[in-house]
Amino acid sequence: MLDRASTFADPDIVKMLQDEFVAVAIDQAYQRRQQDAEGEFYRQIVRQSPRNNFENTTQGFYVATATGELLLFNNNRDPQKLRDLLRRKLAEFKRSAAASATVGALEADKLDARFNPRPPEGGLVVRVRAKVLDGYEPTEDAFKSIFQTALSRDNLWISKAEHEAMVRGSIPDALQKRIAQFHLVDNTRGEPPMWTPEEIRHLEMQLRGDQLRGSVRLATADGKRGFDAEMYGEIQVEGTTVRRWDLIVRGEFWGEGPFTRGAPAGRFPLAIAFSLADGSDTADAIPPQASRGWLQGYLR
Amino acid sequence: MNRIAIQMLSFIVALLPVLSHSRNVASLEPLTRDEFARLRELLQPAEDELWRMIPWRLSVLEGQRTAAQQHKPIFIWAMDGHPLGCT
Repeated sequence: MLDRASTFADPDIVKMLQDEFVAVAIDQAYQRRQQDAEGEFYRQIVRQSPRNNFENTTQGFYVATATGELLLFNNNRDPQKLRDLLRRKLAEFKRSAAASATVGALEADKLDARFNPRPPEGGLVVRVRAKVLDGYEPTEDAFKSIFQTALSRDNLWISKAEHEAMVRGSIPDALQKRIAQFHLVDNTRGEPPMWTPEEIRHLEMQLRGDQLRGSVRLATADGKRGFDAEMYGEIQVEGTTVRRWDLIVRGEFWGEGPFTRGAPAGRFPLAIAFSLADGSDTADAIPPQASRGWLQGYLR
Repeated sequence: MNRIAIQMLSFIVALLPVLSHSRNVASLEPLTRDEFARLRELLQPAEDELWRMIPWRLSVLEGQRTAAQQHKPIFIWAMDGHPLGCT
């Protein structure tokens, strides 16, 4: 979320990306591995950059022509630097033959199914957002401030059978465990560690009429990370479809992971909101973070 | 120390991490409907977030097709975890 709140909060960069570029956002862990036209075109571009070892991350910002010629690689998030680089590369592009060249559209003749997950047919997509409510030491550091006030984003996928069970008034165990294990995390400062099944110490979710109540206790074996929380939600069913499902999980979290350093000391209040996606946000189509390369395990 | 005592001690040691953080879930402030409504509002993203005003595409190929049609360069934001959704 650092980039969302810094680099892509710069009005000049946003304007350039709206008007002068075709903007693409990807989890490169998919494209650098997938064996199809999507992956091949991505690797064609990245191979020309210093990130040309596809065994490692290829994260960064790339600018390329429609023929796959790399114009820019940059991994510096400083908005001023990126703004200047984009302006310079745009000017170079406009002066080049590439700007007026006729280029054919690449066709996706096959899809590598391992890296093209789709939401379960007949199931539900739920937006998940987390926020640390208090506990940080005051800071004047702009980047720390972004993390401290961040609202995280992820999606929860619910299968057709689980959707049908919810219509009948129950929350299947597998869905409860998926929510606890993969979505009751503090992902406000980066990619969080998920919970193992053994770290779910207590979990209860019950639908009564249109209300959901529950509680959860998660803790690592060494006690360094955990979450004690209560849940309250509301559900609305019309016919065979869940039309509304809003759930709040609020409690005390403690600890951090290797990529979520800088958590408040001790226990701190964390809230996580779940609400049905309506398809109006581009991010509604993004697979859950925990399903990366392991969709069957995520949905089991 | 006999075997049963060792087993009991091992059991207690295994539980220590959990017990040390086990202020009971029930001791948390109850999550009322009013608090639910307040938090639901608080956890809504702002409508005017600038990064959301950019017409992001989720596929490099889709970007290539549009770039070819519109004679524009492609900008790729590639991250570990999806930059629009994973954190």
